Amino acid sequence: MQLLKTVLIVTAGAALLTGCTAGGDYPGLEYAPNMYHSVAYEPLTQITDESAGTWVNSLDNGRGEYFNSNKYNPNMMNMRAPAPYTVKRNKYGWLPYRIGKDSLDYASTIKSPLDSTAAIIADGKALYAVYCNHCHGPKGEGDGKVAMGVKVDGVDKGMVAGVANLQGNAYLNMTEGHIFHVITWGRNLMQPHGSQISPEDRWKIAKYVKTLQKK
Amino acid sequence: MTHPISGLFKNLATALFILLCVTSFAQEISTDAGVIKEGETLFNANCKACHRIDQKLIGPALAGVYDRAPSLDWIKNFVRNSSKVIASGDEYANKIFAENGKMMMTSFTSFSDDQIMAIMAYVENETNKPAEVVATTTAAGGGEGGAGAGVPTSYLNAILIGMIVILLLLLVILGLIINGLKRYLDQKDLTEEDREVVHSPITLSTIVQSRGFIFIVVFIVASVSFKTVIDGLYSIGVQQGYAPKQPIAFSHKVHAGQYEIDCKYCHTGAIKGRSANIPSPNICMNCHTQIRSGTNTGESEIAKIVAAVETNRPIEWVRVHNLPDLAYFNHSQHVNVGGIECQTCHGPIEEMDVVKQYSLLTMGWCIDCHRKTDVNAKGNAYYDNLRELHNNKAMKVEDIGGLECAKCHY
Repeated sequence: MQLLKTVLIVTAGAALLTGCTAGGDYPGLEYAPNMYHSVAYEPLTQITDESAGTWVNSLDNGRGEYFNSNKYNPNMMNMRAPAPYTVKRNKYGWLPYRIGKDSLDYASTIKSPLDSTAAIIADGKALYAVYCNHCHGPKGEGDGKVAMGVKVDGVDKGMVAGVANLQGNAYLNMTEGHIFHVITWGRNLMQPHGSQISPEDRWKIAKYVKTLQKK
Repeated sequence: MTHPISGLFKNLATALFILLCVTSFAQEISTDAGVIKEGETLFNANCKACHRIDQKLIGPALAGVYDRAPSLDWIKNFVRNSSKVIASGDEYANKIFAENGKMMMTSFTSFSDDQIMAIMAYVENETNKPAEVVATTTAAGGGEGGAGAGVPTSYLNAILIGMIVILLLLLVILGLIINGLKRYLDQKDLTEEDREVVHSPITLSTIVQSRGFIFIVVFIVASVSFKTVIDGLYSIGVQQGYAPKQPIAFSHKVHAGQYEIDCKYCHTGAIKGRSANIPSPNICMNCHTQIRSGTNTGESEIAKIVAAVETNRPIEWVRVHNLPDLAYFNHSQHVNVGGIECQTCHGPIEEMDVVKQYSLLTMGWCIDCHRKTDVNAKGNAYYDNLRELHNNKAMKVEDIGGLECAKCHY
């Protein structure tokens, strides 16, 4: 009987410990939670509950240990947009691109500041694969999966119509400045990608697109 | 009196004039197979992105456009420079411009008359194609989809359960037969030897009460419990398998898997900085200005992004990977410099509808990889001196300080 009791206790203990394992909405039991939760503002974490983690408090600031959000920011976010008119520095010392969306004709006359070296074109190719492939297709023929739509188990998934075929007659003569401008601001149905791709990378992509068109 | 030659000249001139009239004002759309083929190529390369023959896409359906538009010359002008035609105040041009969401058509300035006429030839050929051809192709497509689906798993499960039930029934029936036979044999006169065979001294209860059996059962229970305890203890502080419900049911399976959108298109920080970053809604809107209905969740989930953009309220995604504050990790060092695939640590993300933490993210897990992985030093001038120091042999991350405490803890 004694033996049976021991077995029962051990099993119960094991069952309890299984409750420590993460899964679904439960992140699992934390070991030394004070070391997990940042005191400094974490840009991609936001715990707005001031009483979260009061039970492990090590600070005497009247807030729970887990609290991590900035009350002075909009929506209590830890991230902020840069102050207006802040200029991002880059290794080339380029100033921000300030040509407005409507000035495409002027933008087309701007020469690329980058040289057509193999390394830059290779960079452009890699960037094209990340940012352009899924719509414009690997050869720029406007046949990426997003543009053409995909069929999964006989069901048509959505597609984005109106993706330019960069090998088409209307686009063969566009300049690198034109491509740079359109990536930055978007055109027709294409949305602006300036927030995602740095100016240097945009010039590299523009150079690669011109190389692609010659093939 | 008129000169016979001048009469001939007059006739010739009239003929030439008529010929000119025919070619310039009443140009016919060709039905020549070669021209249609050329038109098809041109259509697919230049028009297909926005136009279909019998379906409105970005621009109107083109079926019968040659009858609808004011003239063929009008079509040519519009194709070459639509904004000019619209700006000139042309009534029809402004009408279709307004009908199609005021979206300016790309100008195809380089098209020659012949090229535009070839496209018209293709459009006319497609318009006049009998409709039933389209019907049969869709029917064939549907049949293919049905055949590809295969036997549903629920059927297999039902068959499996049925078989288990039958086996259990057989077991019960066999037990009943044994009992019946025993009773029958008891009624007969049997020798001592035969009686022992029928009533074996080793019964189920003697087995269960034997020391050996008890030992085996206790051993099994104890070792299973021991393993569970150890596993449970090891899972403390490890969030492997954490798959929280997100405010928007975003599916990586659809985006990264089916559409093959590169991870770094949205997670722009992965090549540039410490954190891979959660994309801001404007990146979602790059496609979702147009795609407003998903096949998994309909319109409800995509509407949440649109609402977030319109009200300028952040979407509060639940962070899945919570590396403790005491450890430093940098995405760009691994993705950009090391050239490691996202899937190496994050698992088959392209198959996940709901993202879960795939790897342990423990220190042992980091160190293990640093011991096994070669430094991606090829073509990277930063490593030149280190490579020389290591006699140009392959270096593991461990060899260049990848196990130093202060590399990650400071």
